Amino acid sequence: MSLVTELILNADSEARYPAPKEIRIYQDFVKTGDQRIRIAKVLAENEQRIVQNGSARFWERCPNTPSNCGNDRKTASCQRDQGWYVRLIAYSILAGSERPLEEIGTVGIKEMYNNLEIPIRNITECMRCLKEEAMSLMSEEDATEVAPYFDLIIHSLS
Amino acid sequence: MQDAITTLINSSDTQGKYLDNSSLERLQNYFHSGELRAKAAMTISANAATIVTRTTAKSLLYTDITAPGGNMYTCRRYAACVRDMDYFLRYATYAMLAGDPSILDERVLNGLRETYNSLGVPVGATVRAVQAMKEVTTEMLGAEAGKEMSLYFDHICTGLG
Repeated sequence: MSLVTELILNADSEARYPAPKEIRIYQDFVKTGDQRIRIAKVLAENEQRIVQNGSARFWERCPNTPSNCGNDRKTASCQRDQGWYVRLIAYSILAGSERPLEEIGTVGIKEMYNNLEIPIRNITECMRCLKEEAMSLMSEEDATEVAPYFDLIIHSLS
Repeated sequence: MQDAITTLINSSDTQGKYLDNSSLERLQNYFHSGELRAKAAMTISANAATIVTRTTAKSLLYTDITAPGGNMYTCRRYAACVRDMDYFLRYATYAMLAGDPSILDERVLNGLRETYNSLGVPVGATVRAVQAMKEVTTEMLGAEAGKEMSLYFDHICTGLG
């Protein structure tokens, strides 16, 4: 789901055309299209760096954690998940909506990690580290666009 | 429903990938055409009743369909026809804003031909009316936005045919 689909479905649920206010929101969204594409590219090109540097930061703050337990397979699958979150955030930036991130990655996130026996506090800290790392790669303007999506993951873990 | 953005996201996600360059280029084209789409939607929204009136006048009014025995004879049927024209216009506008026809398939065309057949609504005349609506809308919006809307009017016709 994107901002565009959301707006259309809202209008359709009342059998009307999009209201002036909604059209203005749409216009503001498409106007920022180039910025959105730029951010998505930065995230795509730097996913590995965000995950690697983010992990290093995370292990400093939280050394006793599954991704740092010496089991390479665990480390790899934790870092793969972290990379996925970076990708989902890129989708959400392009869609102008938290819905892709929610639909794919945050609905059920706590239950999943509980089931995997990964401490929620650790993942939360890890997400903070990824956020800091991602934001450090961008201008202030772009970082402001990205931060709320990391915060959404962090909130959905709490 | 899907839109120009979600179709690209969904197909990337099933592969676990970021959007590749050709997807990003398509997205960029969509973003750049956004202002045109927004303006077209506003114009149609402000003139929907006029468009439907002109469309009916152009394609249906002076044909056998409105005479006794025709499927638009009786005010009740006439009103139902005008309501459907309204729907076509509104959903084509949604699809144009979305840059994707899926909402037409899901919310207009799914089962429509069968419904029309069972009600005795002639599909040929409906298609002619949608084509007329395309012309009326293009006249009002200008060539560029008209062309974009035409994609979705044609999609309706193909779905009915």
